[in-house]
Amino acid sequence: MTARYPEFAEDILAHFAARGTELVDVPVIQPADPFLDMAGEDLRRRIFLTESETGETLCLRPEFTIPVCRDHIANRAGTPRRYAYLGEVFRQRREGGAEFFQAGIEDLGSPDMAEADARSIADAHALIDGLLPGAAISVTLGDQRVFEAVLAALGLPRGWQKRLARAFGSPELLKSALADLADPPRKAPLPEDVSELVAAGDHAALSAHVAERMGEAGISAHAGREPDEIAARLIEKTQLSSVRLAPDALSALEAFLSIRAPLRKAGDALRGFAGDAGISLGAALEAFGRRARALSENGLPDDVMTYDAGFGRPLDYYTGLVFEISVTGEDRPLAGGGRYDRLLTLLGAETSIPGVGFSVWLDRVASLRGGV
Amino acid sequence: MAVTLAIPSKGRLKEAALERLAKAGLEIVQPGDDRRYRAVVKGRDDIEIALLSAGEIAREVGLGKVDLGITGEDLLSESFGDADGRFEIAARLGFGRADVVVAVPECWLDVDTMGDLDDVAAEFRQRHGRRLRIATKYWRLTQKFFSAQHGIQVYRIVESLGATEGAPAAGSADVIVDITTTGSTLKANHLKVLSDGVILRSEACLAVARKDRPEVEEAVIAGLVGRLNGH
Repeated sequence: MTARYPEFAEDILAHFAARGTELVDVPVIQPADPFLDMAGEDLRRRIFLTESETGETLCLRPEFTIPVCRDHIANRAGTPRRYAYLGEVFRQRREGGAEFFQAGIEDLGSPDMAEADARSIADAHALIDGLLPGAAISVTLGDQRVFEAVLAALGLPRGWQKRLARAFGSPELLKSALADLADPPRKAPLPEDVSELVAAGDHAALSAHVAERMGEAGISAHAGREPDEIAARLIEKTQLSSVRLAPDALSALEAFLSIRAPLRKAGDALRGFAGDAGISLGAALEAFGRRARALSENGLPDDVMTYDAGFGRPLDYYTGLVFEISVTGEDRPLAGGGRYDRLLTLLGAETSIPGVGFSVWLDRVASLRGGV
Repeated sequence: MAVTLAIPSKGRLKEAALERLAKAGLEIVQPGDDRRYRAVVKGRDDIEIALLSAGEIAREVGLGKVDLGITGEDLLSESFGDADGRFEIAARLGFGRADVVVAVPECWLDVDTMGDLDDVAAEFRQRHGRRLRIATKYWRLTQKFFSAQHGIQVYRIVESLGATEGAPAAGSADVIVDITTTGSTLKANHLKVLSDGVILRSEACLAVARKDRPEVEEAVIAGLVGRLNGH
């Protein structure tokens, strides 16, 4: 079935205009590399890939955030800017059509992050509320930054913090990472000459040794991982190998991840947790509070928002807020969004440009409207 | 109507398949002319033999164009995203054993496990301005193992059609996923297999296409499966 332009498209465009956004269009055919680079290889089997005559790998636009950001960079546009879009995206799905519509807003370069986060949620909420009048809407929020602050405040080694932060949003990965840290798998023994250098912490000699082995293998010392980097990680890893995740840190993490509270009570829940664990969440908690206040100033009803401490997306460009909007009667979320402060740099922007945005699945909205 | 069994058209895999079928009481009579790709089973007009390349067999069974196929499990698993829905592995035949493994340069002294590789992949982009590259001809198996099983998202697959083990030295990839029997090729290329880096312990298998068939054909297939399983 070919997707049809949604009959409520005009309403969405009017909503975008009223909210002071700039409507943009991006080509349907896109270079595939940025998507695979950013979202990972997992995307490969879900997008439509093809090749140009010159060998460039192309795909049908699977989403809008990356092309909108790339356009912004290519146009050397000033910030702040709020881009809106409405158009078809293409994905291979087991169920449902492969072509469907999405609409959303990407807010790039707004310096007041609490305000920009709140506005993004408010825009998404108002859009869905307008399209599905009377529907029972709920918003779930998570925050990568708060989780990272907890890891730092617990005094975990830097490598562990990074590993756990990467697993944030995936309960299974987080569980297996925690199990590994509490009871590390036995490490393969190092060759004797290497283990002496490691034990002595002799970075320079170890690095030279690695360089020599690289040379023997015919691997360039500059094309990929470098001797220096391998030596540093080996020393760090060996130092950590006798360290176990302390039981109280593990139970603090478990307590944190189980926090689920209405947003108006979430600040207290986090403060209560920090008090019990004997840690301070400092700036992350302040930013959390500022965003919660900005949300109520943006007119969002208090009772529809829930903070879920374990809610996140395991992709490395999400840095703070993530959110989802659902309505009763549809299991899948109608909208998803989040803050991606690292994305534009990864895509090649010369300066760091913060960003926050959301996207609405218009096919899901349409089926609910049909059902009203 | 006869059921079609596809077997490898050349090499060790072909010889081993013929031997295994003979042991199960099925003597394959090949055409005198080597370039013909059909054969018959002595005394059985209800089974036709198609001689195909090992990779083609996986595809043909997956598409339901042949009923049965004997080929490597690695090729069967790699051939389709929904392989389980397309065919059933009805017998494991015990020859053509080889492992699909994740191998890294030996000089990566700090990397022994997939957990280590996860750390390295995550840092890679920041340090080197590109994602960690994995050379392989098994992109489906790789992607499933890295993304679904180990939660490693940020890496790039470089499709390699031959001599994958040379990719790190050639500078076209950092890590490889490849098939190995003794590990000697990996060793000769100064590569080591991660301790939890075995993706698949592969061997030749009999795959049966999932489709509706007349009862007579089902019976022929059941008989064949039984014989190959040693019943």
